[in-house]
Amino acid sequence: MKTYDLIVIGGGPAGMAAAISARENGCEDVLILERGSSLGGILNQCIHNGFGLLTFHEELTGPEYAARYAEKICALNIDYQLNTTVIRIDREKKVTAINADKGLQILQSKTIILAMGCRERPRGALNIPGSRPAGIFSAGTAQRIINIDGYMPGHNVVILGSGDIGLIMARRMTLEGAKVKVVAELMPYSSGLKRNIVQCLDDFGIPLKFRTSVVKIHGDKRLTGVTLARMDDRNKPIPDTEEFYECDTLLLSVGLIPENEISDEAGIPLDPSTCGPVVNNDFETEAEGIFACGNVLHVHDLVDFVSQEAASAGKNAACYIRRNGLSNKERTVRLFGSDGVRYTVPQILNPDRKDEDLTVRFRVGEVYQNAFISVFFNDQCILRRKKPIVTPGEMELIKLRKEQINQFPDLKSITIKIEKG
Amino acid sequence: MYDAIIIGSGISGASLAYELAAYKLRIAVIEKGSDICSGTSRGNSATVHSGHDAAYGTQKALYNVMGNAMFDQLCSDLKVPFIRNGTILFAINEADMEEVRRLKHNADKNHVPGVEVLDRDGLLRIEHYFGPDVIGGLYAPTGGIVCPYTLVIALCEQALRNHVDFFLNNKVMCIQKNATGFFVTTNKTVFQTRFLFNCAGTHADEINNMVSSNKITILPRKGEHILLDKKLAPYVRATISQTPVNLPSGGHTKGMGIMPSVDKTIILGCDAHDVTDKDDTATTAIGLDEITSYFEKNWRHLPISEKIPKFPHNRIINAFGGLRPHSTTDDFIIGESEDVAGFFNMAGIESPGLTAAPAIAKKIVQDAAEKYHFEKTDVFIPTRDHVKPFRDMNDEERRQAVMENKEYGDIVCRCEMVTKAEIKAAIHSPLGATNVNAVKMRTRAGMGRCQGGFCSPVVAKILAEELSIDLTEVTQSGEGSNIFFPKNGNQAKRNSQ
Ligand SMILES: Cc1cc2nc3c(=O)[nH]c(=O)nc-3n(C[C@H](O)[C@H](O)[C@H](O)COP(=O)(O)OP(=O)(O)OC[C@H]3O[C@@H](n4cnc5c(N)ncnc54)[C@H](O)[C@@H]3O)c2cc1C
Ligand SMILES: Cc1cc2nc3c(=O)[nH]c(=O)nc-3n(C[C@H](O)[C@H](O)[C@H](O)COP(=O)(O)OP(=O)(O)OC[C@H]3O[C@@H](n4cnc5c(N)ncnc54)[C@H](O)[C@@H]3O)c2cc1C
Repeated sequence: MKTYDLIVIGGGPAGMAAAISARENGCEDVLILERGSSLGGILNQCIHNGFGLLTFHEELTGPEYAARYAEKICALNIDYQLNTTVIRIDREKKVTAINADKGLQILQSKTIILAMGCRERPRGALNIPGSRPAGIFSAGTAQRIINIDGYMPGHNVVILGSGDIGLIMARRMTLEGAKVKVVAELMPYSSGLKRNIVQCLDDFGIPLKFRTSVVKIHGDKRLTGVTLARMDDRNKPIPDTEEFYECDTLLLSVGLIPENEISDEAGIPLDPSTCGPVVNNDFETEAEGIFACGNVLHVHDLVDFVSQEAASAGKNAACYIRRNGLSNKERTVRLFGSDGVRYTVPQILNPDRKDEDLTVRFRVGEVYQNAFISVFFNDQCILRRKKPIVTPGEMELIKLRKEQINQFPDLKSITIKIEKG
Repeated sequence: MYDAIIIGSGISGASLAYELAAYKLRIAVIEKGSDICSGTSRGNSATVHSGHDAAYGTQKALYNVMGNAMFDQLCSDLKVPFIRNGTILFAINEADMEEVRRLKHNADKNHVPGVEVLDRDGLLRIEHYFGPDVIGGLYAPTGGIVCPYTLVIALCEQALRNHVDFFLNNKVMCIQKNATGFFVTTNKTVFQTRFLFNCAGTHADEINNMVSSNKITILPRKGEHILLDKKLAPYVRATISQTPVNLPSGGHTKGMGIMPSVDKTIILGCDAHDVTDKDDTATTAIGLDEITSYFEKNWRHLPISEKIPKFPHNRIINAFGGLRPHSTTDDFIIGESEDVAGFFNMAGIESPGLTAAPAIAKKIVQDAAEKYHFEKTDVFIPTRDHVKPFRDMNDEERRQAVMENKEYGDIVCRCEMVTKAEIKAAIHSPLGATNVNAVKMRTRAGMGRCQGGFCSPVVAKILAEELSIDLTEVTQSGEGSNIFFPKNGNQAKRNSQ
């Protein structure tokens, strides 16, 4: 049986960047398995611009950004199979995949990179009472219907959740002639990017109501309306604040969940805060030789960061093969988020293997103004940086220099905190 | 002219159709919904009750125990998954234990096999963990689980194979009796039949009262459930509930329970509330709140709490409601009407109706056959041909399946691993699916953790292709539930609906 150097699961921006970087760092037999009918992942349906400012210093649309990577995949002769779903992996790095032409394949690889992206949280998970008519879509599904299938999901719209996809869809639906009546957000802040609130709602006069949620769904066959209410601090509706909105469409933009079913079934430990695998500074999961990057690892708002992270994962997979599979994990340092920091990626640092600076990405749990981001090595504060604003919607990052880390031979833990100004 | 018409295609109508199909009769089933199984049989607790709690001496008790005993053979004939996972009622205080002993006594009178009163150690021999407050309970080993709509679909498909006709989207509006039988008028057409069987669920009183002067009243009593992700399946085996003392809904429900489904999701529920609308299965804030707060509070008693210590809110994938057709007589109303010959009721079939229906149907058909001299056919086929779902196949079977039909290699529903081949099969099956929900009921496409986010548009496209209709004509659940509209503000079509 043939053994691949690297199998990449998922051909979105993460998978493509990882495969390219692995090849550029010496991986010979690289195979991308993608269940969709083209490379590009979620970018294929994101026809708005705003992609690639960091990577290419220009504003591209999603498909344009994806195409740059797809062209490179072809130029480098990297093998890929489309319409191919991976149904199982194991720690021995066997990958079971299915497609119509080759049927069921069991492939052996030296390394695996997980790049399966994420899926949207559905209505069911929100437990919104009411009937179950047609006309309730997750925002990404609606985006697909408009941008790829070329249909409209409806005409009078209420959007629940102010995540980026919801915001972008508010604009998209409006441009297509629909009336977006309101965007309701449970939290007192938006989980979307500031620029999206301005460009997608404010510019079109679409109201955004905080601390508001859908408390009832109406309609038998097709949605006829929703009841919104203001919510109290315990997320219970405040009596007498109910308002009925007539609409035929409800879009949900209430969060993304990394798609880790196959990772979980392979026994790869997941971080309950990110819902992605626990990784070290090489983006290697706790299963040796299996790496993760992109939205499957933690949800990103900017694709540029996805590509950076993935390139690093690809390079590290190549190194792993060069080292002949041995991971040097003698010393491990745990990274923690606390006091408002929800999580960090990576969660583990192996300082002995660290030959470059460490980038730690993290998200906070609420909005902080004029607060400090502090980094502790063991109990000692080694960095305090003031930020005018940090919000749950925007991923933060902090760079720790190699020398800084090496100065701490008995480093056990790195903790990132928010300290109020 | 039909010999027999059955109104309603829930578990009652389907069981009757299957039983009647064994006779030389021309039979039709009339259903108002856009698909078979449009009522209560679609959403319930999916438990094949043992019969320990149905009050001794009632029809409910009699047919519950008889029905339960039929499930092994019936489900094996129809290739429907059925598991006897056992039922446990646990007790946390002496008052509960008192109730446990009363139920044991009741169970014995009902002739429920194998029911035991157990102390804590006894319970722990069956489930390896219970919370520290649990002192004992009742164990009914014959309790089981089945997927109610899978069973109904299988019964209907098999009835169809045995030449029963089905008419969907036909709502019975009026019935007239004449010398030879009945004229049954629907919103579409008029049927004529010698014998008429009323299996109309929450609407069975309306049907009965069109024909008989012995008026009946059916009150819809809502029950709601919450579904949890199949990831929790390893921790839930038996159907477990607390002894129904001091529950919020009192005696209207069999208690708040946790049970696995045959599809490995976890069902929590249910409560009971009297409502007025006979078709309103919407979930309510009060109901969902009642269930979640109950389980938040009592989770610690359950075996699952050993591994999952707190009620896992983040594992909720969906919620659904159903309406019990509760008769004011508080029992099933079954058999030939006293004042109208040839008119049979299978009404007031509330819980344990799913369990009891096969036995009730058998009895009604036997009595009718005897009285009216129905003749058995010798071509009746009781067993269903059924292809194993892709998700249940092993690697070798999957390899084989794709080799034989490439479309098995095209996975449409990722969460439940449903392939294009299976979706097409559901569309072209005997009672073929014509809308997205119908595909869902037959294949589970869209029933997993992402709830159709990805696959429902794809399913809609396959429906459009296979039925040769435009995507804008595809519906979620029949007329008026269209999903897609043409782009560029062309609202004319929509407004005309
Ligand atoms: C609506 C929307 C708007 C956005 N807007 C912007 C923006 O304006 N600017 C910006 O910079 N970023 C934006 N982003 C973020 C960025 O696009 C994502 O972070 C990025 O696409 C994530 O890349 P990924 O490769 O991790 O995941 P994906 O793009 O989701 O790719 C994952 C791929 O894996 C495949 N896959 C999954 N499971 C399997 C399996 N079992 N077998 C085979 N294949 C599998 C999937 O089919 C998919 O193609 C947006 C994202 C969305 C959803
Ligand atoms: C919350 C809940 C939990 C339950 N749990 C269990 C359980 O765990 N175990 C158990 O054994 N039982 C349980 N039950 C009871 C069980 O679900 C019912 O007894 C059973 O489904 C009733 O089936 P049916 O065929 O009589 O009615 P239905 O399934 O409602 O079927 C009636 C059909 O008739 C059609 N119809 C109505 N009017 C007309 C008309 N005028 N013209 C044409 N068609 C018409 C409807 O569309 C419908 O399809 C539960 C019930 C509820 C509500």
